[in-house]
Amino acid sequence: MSEAIVEQVKKYLTGSIPITPISQGAEAVVFTTEVHPYLPKADNQPSTKYIIKYRPPKQYRHPTIDKTLTKHRTLSESRILSKLSSLPGLNVPKLIACDVYNGCIWLEFLGENLPNGAGFSNLKNFLWMNSSDPYNKTVESTLFKVGEQIGLLHWNDYCHGDLTTSNVVLVRDGESWAPHLIDFGLGSSSTLVEDKGVDLYVLERAIVSTHSSFAEKYNKWIIEGFSSVYQSKGKKGNQKLKDVINRFQDVRLRGRKRSMIG
Amino acid sequence: MVNLNSVPPKHGRNFYLALGLEGSANKLGVGVVKHPVLAHHADSDLSHDCHAQILSNIRDTYITPPGEGFLPRDTARHHRNWVVRLARRALDAAGLRDPSELDVICFTRGPGMGAPLHSVAVFARTLSLLWRVPLVPVNHCVGHIEMGREITKAENPVVLYVSGGNTQVIAYSENRYRIFGETLDIAIGNCLDRFARTLRIPNEPSPGYNIEQLAKNAPHKDSLVELPYTVKGMDLSMSGILGYVDGLAKDLFSQNTKNKILFDPQTGEQKVTVEDLCYSLQENLFAMLVEITERAMAHVASNQVLIVGGVGCNVRLQEMMASMCRDRSNGQVHATDERFCIDNGVMIAQAGLLQYRMGNVVKDLAETVVTQKFRTDEVYVAWRD
Repeated sequence: MSEAIVEQVKKYLTGSIPITPISQGAEAVVFTTEVHPYLPKADNQPSTKYIIKYRPPKQYRHPTIDKTLTKHRTLSESRILSKLSSLPGLNVPKLIACDVYNGCIWLEFLGENLPNGAGFSNLKNFLWMNSSDPYNKTVESTLFKVGEQIGLLHWNDYCHGDLTTSNVVLVRDGESWAPHLIDFGLGSSSTLVEDKGVDLYVLERAIVSTHSSFAEKYNKWIIEGFSSVYQSKGKKGNQKLKDVINRFQDVRLRGRKRSMIG
Repeated sequence: MVNLNSVPPKHGRNFYLALGLEGSANKLGVGVVKHPVLAHHADSDLSHDCHAQILSNIRDTYITPPGEGFLPRDTARHHRNWVVRLARRALDAAGLRDPSELDVICFTRGPGMGAPLHSVAVFARTLSLLWRVPLVPVNHCVGHIEMGREITKAENPVVLYVSGGNTQVIAYSENRYRIFGETLDIAIGNCLDRFARTLRIPNEPSPGYNIEQLAKNAPHKDSLVELPYTVKGMDLSMSGILGYVDGLAKDLFSQNTKNKILFDPQTGEQKVTVEDLCYSLQENLFAMLVEITERAMAHVASNQVLIVGGVGCNVRLQEMMASMCRDRSNGQVHATDERFCIDNGVMIAQAGLLQYRMGNVVKDLAETVVTQKFRTDEVYVAWRD
């Protein structure tokens, strides 16, 4: 990560909020902190981690464009997150605060480190960790639950826009894992079957490209979980499920892109 | 490992010679390229460093009057009229007395406008039969990529291919140039050309270049005219922006003082000039391009960008790309000048020669039928690992 950006964020947050950088995407940089933006820190309590997602101003674009975009995107991501967290059964990080003009949002920190140095508990690392026993019960039930989460999201007419295995975080729930969807930077509210088909296809590609030898079964379990949500909604659900799955297969055949004309 | 020396050069020489013929749009290009045979190319992944020598690079552009675009029929006629003369000049400039010395003749198979492509393909077939030289059909986009790689020596860059007919962000993976993002409707060059037509500015040397010059002199660079910003994930859409900015230009010419963006509602004073519109259009479009390129770079974890295609010689675009790369660790931008950015015959010869050296030649003339639709990822890239 570029030093200049880290300095910028530190200046914006002032010295009273210590931050640790964790990743840089194309659009935003992500940090963790132990300071809550507005609640006082309770004494004797174990410290809680929070996520700060910051969209740095882009030097290459005109300041007017940059301001409008940063505001628009931060706002739309915050709105989606707050709407999604009110949907029963759907797991997304809680939105704590947002400053749309400076492109900064605070989120609940999710996940933990996997045992034996297998890394952070996202779906990608989890599947790697289980590659010696790829088809065990925990993997099957976790992937089924991932499918359920996506099913719930789509049933409520929202799309993620960038479903990859690193954008699914697993939170320990007793013996099992509860998948949470994160990063709604490209998320949208959409009733289009096309967007849902593309979401499923992008996730399938992500699994095929990183866990290719087990991908077939993994994807089958995810689709089973996905279908179970729609099937529980009666006749209408079955009809909609058929539409989404058919479109998903179409998208797979053409490889996301339409053939270009002209 | 790839063996680029699997097909030996003609007559036991120690170099390859290729003629490239390009005519997919309004530029007709003929070029001759020479590749020395290098021992380390027998087992390597060095297709970006062939030590290519450009013996000649001749181009002629079909230019239409201001306010008019080029039509397929007229462009094809231009190509038919000039291709023999250009080929003569290219061979003379390359010092090639006997054209049957050529190892291979390469021509553009697509994508592009049907009629111009076809007229150049007919010429290529004729030469091939006349001189008994094998033919190689080349994908125009792959031609741009390979030329850019050879000139800049960028080994594995994310490629931004921006021209009059194409707008794509491409990265290489498993023997294909895969398209990560692209335009959903019109290409960026098309958008600029059509705006130039609305403004009735000259098409000489190129409409995009004239827009760039106008934009440099914009008097109100601080107050940008806001235009739609239409990035959709990794893709972008430009027809809406063109429609919007066209409308503004028409209001400006007709002095429609009701338009509050262009005229002060109280005094009726003009706030925006034609130069400002050009500036705003460029800033907006290029910001979109740089953004999707950055997405692709983050996605494939690459830090090099290569800009190819006619719009790639725009200095402002190169500046913006460089600025984006400075914010990424070790970011580098590679771009070429107008000789190689704008469509030319050399790039077709370069990509075609790589194909030829991997043993890919036309065996039956039926394979030389041109196609208007020919996606970059349809080509099997045998010359890379």
